[in-house]
Amino acid sequence: MKAPISWLKDFVEINITPEQLADKLVAAGFEVEEIIRQADACKNVVTGLVKDIRRHENADKLSVCTVDVGTHTVQIVTGASNVSAGDVVPVALDGAVLPCGKSIKSGELRGVASQGMLCSGEELCLTEDDYKGASVYGILILEKGTPIGLDINSVLGNDDVILDVAVTANRPDCNSIIGIAREVAAVLGKSFKEPFTGYRANPDRISNYLSVTVHADDLCPRYLAKCVKDVKIQPSPLLIQKRLKAVGIRPINNIVDITNYVLVEIGQPMHAFDYRNLEGGKIVVRRAAQGEKFVALDKSEHSLDRTMLVIADENKPVALGGVMGGLDSGVKEDTSFIVFEAAKFARDNIRRTSRTLNLRSDSSQRFEKGIDYSSQDLGMNRALALIQQQNAGTVISGTIDSYSGTVATREIAVNTKDVNDILGIKVPYKRMTQILDGLGLTAQVKGKKLYVQVPPYREDIVNANDVAEEVIRIYGYNKIKSTLLKKAQQTKGGKPLYMRRVDKLKTVMSGMGANEIVTYSFISPKAFDKLLLSESDGRREAIKLINPLGEDVSIMRTTLAPCMLDTLVSNINKGNKEGRFFEIARVFIPKQLPLTELPVEKEYLAFGAYGKDEDFFALKGYIVNLLECMGIKNAEFSAYGESYLHPGRSAAVTVKNRYIGQIGEVHPDAAEAFGTDERLYYAEIDIGAMFDYAVEVPKFEATPKYPAMVRDLAFIVRETVTADQMVKAVIKCTDKKLLESVKVFDIYKGANIKKGYMSMALTCTFRSAERTLKDSEVNDQVSRILRSLKRKFRARLR
Amino acid sequence: MKQKLAKLSEQCLADSKKAVTSEQINAVKIKYLGRNGAFSDLMKYLKDVPKEEKPEMGKLINDARVEAETVIGEIERDILKKEKEARLAAEKIDVTLPGKEVKTGGLHPLTIVRNQILDTFISMGFEVVEGPEIETDEFCFQKLNIPKDHPARDMQDTFYITDNIVLRTHTSPMQARVMESKDRKPPLRLVIPGKVYRSDDDATHSPMFQQIEGLVIDKKISLCDLKGTLEEFAKSVFSKETKVRFRPSYFPFTEPSVEVDVSCSICGGKGCRICKGTGWIEILGAGIVNPQVLINCGLDPKEYTGYAFGLGIERVTMIKYGIPDMRIFFENDERFIKLYK
Repeated sequence: MKAPISWLKDFVEINITPEQLADKLVAAGFEVEEIIRQADACKNVVTGLVKDIRRHENADKLSVCTVDVGTHTVQIVTGASNVSAGDVVPVALDGAVLPCGKSIKSGELRGVASQGMLCSGEELCLTEDDYKGASVYGILILEKGTPIGLDINSVLGNDDVILDVAVTANRPDCNSIIGIAREVAAVLGKSFKEPFTGYRANPDRISNYLSVTVHADDLCPRYLAKCVKDVKIQPSPLLIQKRLKAVGIRPINNIVDITNYVLVEIGQPMHAFDYRNLEGGKIVVRRAAQGEKFVALDKSEHSLDRTMLVIADENKPVALGGVMGGLDSGVKEDTSFIVFEAAKFARDNIRRTSRTLNLRSDSSQRFEKGIDYSSQDLGMNRALALIQQQNAGTVISGTIDSYSGTVATREIAVNTKDVNDILGIKVPYKRMTQILDGLGLTAQVKGKKLYVQVPPYREDIVNANDVAEEVIRIYGYNKIKSTLLKKAQQTKGGKPLYMRRVDKLKTVMSGMGANEIVTYSFISPKAFDKLLLSESDGRREAIKLINPLGEDVSIMRTTLAPCMLDTLVSNINKGNKEGRFFEIARVFIPKQLPLTELPVEKEYLAFGAYGKDEDFFALKGYIVNLLECMGIKNAEFSAYGESYLHPGRSAAVTVKNRYIGQIGEVHPDAAEAFGTDERLYYAEIDIGAMFDYAVEVPKFEATPKYPAMVRDLAFIVRETVTADQMVKAVIKCTDKKLLESVKVFDIYKGANIKKGYMSMALTCTFRSAERTLKDSEVNDQVSRILRSLKRKFRARLR
Repeated sequence: MKQKLAKLSEQCLADSKKAVTSEQINAVKIKYLGRNGAFSDLMKYLKDVPKEEKPEMGKLINDARVEAETVIGEIERDILKKEKEARLAAEKIDVTLPGKEVKTGGLHPLTIVRNQILDTFISMGFEVVEGPEIETDEFCFQKLNIPKDHPARDMQDTFYITDNIVLRTHTSPMQARVMESKDRKPPLRLVIPGKVYRSDDDATHSPMFQQIEGLVIDKKISLCDLKGTLEEFAKSVFSKETKVRFRPSYFPFTEPSVEVDVSCSICGGKGCRICKGTGWIEILGAGIVNPQVLINCGLDPKEYTGYAFGLGIERVTMIKYGIPDMRIFFENDERFIKLYK
């Protein structure tokens, strides 16, 4: 809300600086986003007297002027031909800034020094309305007798200061000059002067001309109409034009300007119809017919539906209620009879209509914020007072008002003590009522109750909390002290087990050299193609946003893979030679599409890496370690077919036959789709599933007392035999009390090994918990291994 | 015999003095003191000595042997000491050469700050809970006193999935879920961290960001309690000297509502570029829970009051670490994350 201070002064006395006023408004809950000084747009331009003018020695079309600017005399070269000695003109001095955007420096023109510029009306952004002679081609010649050496802003009256105030949604009444002025009066402790609304009406009756029928009082709770005849369409007085321009509204003509002026000043949107266009002398407020056509003032054409409200005459819509007038029904140059409308439209309906049709106006924006019942009368009367002041027409007697309710103050009663309990401090009751009185909320303490008279424009004041806020924002938030839940019960704080486990995962991951990343939850639908997912892959069933910021962030992810792969590739592209990353974030699995209930949100761990130290087994090592840190020692890895992973280098991770995740080298086609030819490694774990097997408190195991005996055995077997098969066979054939562990430590293919075969070396560790083992006992276990592996895999010792 | 002994001692002494290396002295040691060394040898001849001289002679040999052991021992220690000194001198390295690279990872700065904030509140008895990121319009807005088509909806640019399902624009819906839940009854003291979404994207806004919501429901909770709690938070996250200031504001789910500023920890409140010369930085929104919200969630506002606040982790992190642009958090450049490990 832009509020020129000069306009505010119509309603309240202000004798502090704009900065001081802004500070006080901020402290009372009205953020001042900007203090705009009109004069800032035009700097260092002064009035000067042309003392002498002579021809430029090197240029026919230029003249050289000697100009007295009050404090000194300057020499200025000009190309204009309308200047003569004795004229008073605007002089832009060295360093001047003009409203048209030009800045002026001293210089030379064709070898003659010029210490500034004489300005035209255009360069000062002036029209004939602003200053007589402003549109003349050439230099603006100021009125005879204009003092010399004055700042041009003061001559043009261009010296207002405008506060740009952010008005919160609970204070729609403050989207008006009088609303802000009321607040200013309250914070300054001054009285508020009501706007002038007096006018005389002609004995002619409105009923001779107009009838109004409201068929949709839910969407239009109040429709107020007045008629004005003998209208003279002309430009508005300069003050009105100036004020409208100051708040960013273009002056059109006196009638349109009055509607806009009232909108800004009172906060009531008004509309003026040309009576000639109201067929049958009727206004019918009704819902639009389905598909009904409407051409708006801005020439846009719309097809309406039954939820929308139109102001119609006997036959056709003449306005889209509260949003925009129709193209034909507006005020024209030859309009002589107008109908003024001041209505209250349902804000949610205005909002919906405006959004549906993508049609916005100052009026619709104001209605969306909410209008109370008192402002139609005030706005209408103010408009008519302006008509009379400007002698712009004759007001016809009688008012048509569709509202039969009363517009009155409302009394609320709250416990006085509740107000202070909410604040936590003791505001003296006397001060409390004084503050409320100042805000126009006349208050009285009777017994334990505080009675507050709430004016109609304060629909937001309902309960003790609202009263407490009114009191403290004037009393001062700096009076709030700090206490630590003085009267509250102690509670037990902390994180649930799940979150503590997630924290541990993060600690473990970073301990393994991985850096945590945070990526957007929304991805591009193209990501699924880049991951080479089949058309029937369930992960393609993703939730779409209706209004995404862009196609590439338009669906909710069902896998973390695209974000991790993007991160790997962007790090590669930034020249980071190695990278190891993890992310813990949610994926969103719809139960059905389109959504009819909330989807399942699962938290996944994504791990990604590239660089010289990474390969499948490094990746597997990280994941095994991660699982072990969660107390999971029985996870199994088996070859897996994931579209975006290498077919020969990927595995599913299962615990007790339940899938908990997948790991692998990224398929080169997928890597390429994401933009790299480097080898990438990726793992994704469903951490909820993983936590189902996590062990919170590991069991105690005594560290072994007796020495171990280690046997390394290398076997020649077919290439197709897996490490897992060999290890399981060894475990099966040996005494569980003696075999502590068995691991594959080397695979060799090549020289001395027959094609199709390989050497697989196992290291078997034997240990007894009760005694030192004898060689013979271990040898016995080894022979069992040899026999078993020979039988199962035709393995022979190398 | 005595002559032999004297000669042996003399020879032993001479050999010992010639030794320069540990090998040489070791050889001398074996030659004279070993099991088959010279002194042991001499003992063998003791049987030829007359019986009455045997004890004296034996003692003499033994004394000479002890003396030889002492001498050789001293020389050996000397040699070993010199040799160790020589080795240490030879092993001198350039300590300014780089150390071996250790691969450690790090938490994202947002996680670091999030944990720090949560820990502060946990220490004050707050329980941490989480809620869904995809929410119903009812919980995201209506229960929080933001009806459909209410102008307050303009305050938050919402991503819609259907007319009634949205990406949550704040962590506040979890307030309503907890208050409504049959498993929990006041007193409630909760913090709710999580991702939230708004259709906004520039240097200070991200379409996805993280909030921490705070909610206390109990009897007689006041604005002073809110200020005290937030002061503890600000001191722990920024510095001990940090102060907290309230400015009036509006949120549909709190009344009174405040914007909360903290004194600028960069300039100590004197005014600098970060705080735009004001000495204060806006950090979160808060207020007393609107009685209507309590009613919407099935609690009796005559019995219970409470406060709520919501802060953006990105914003706190940017201020704390002096990070100029919110988008940096989501670029995930390893070099950036490592700064904070």
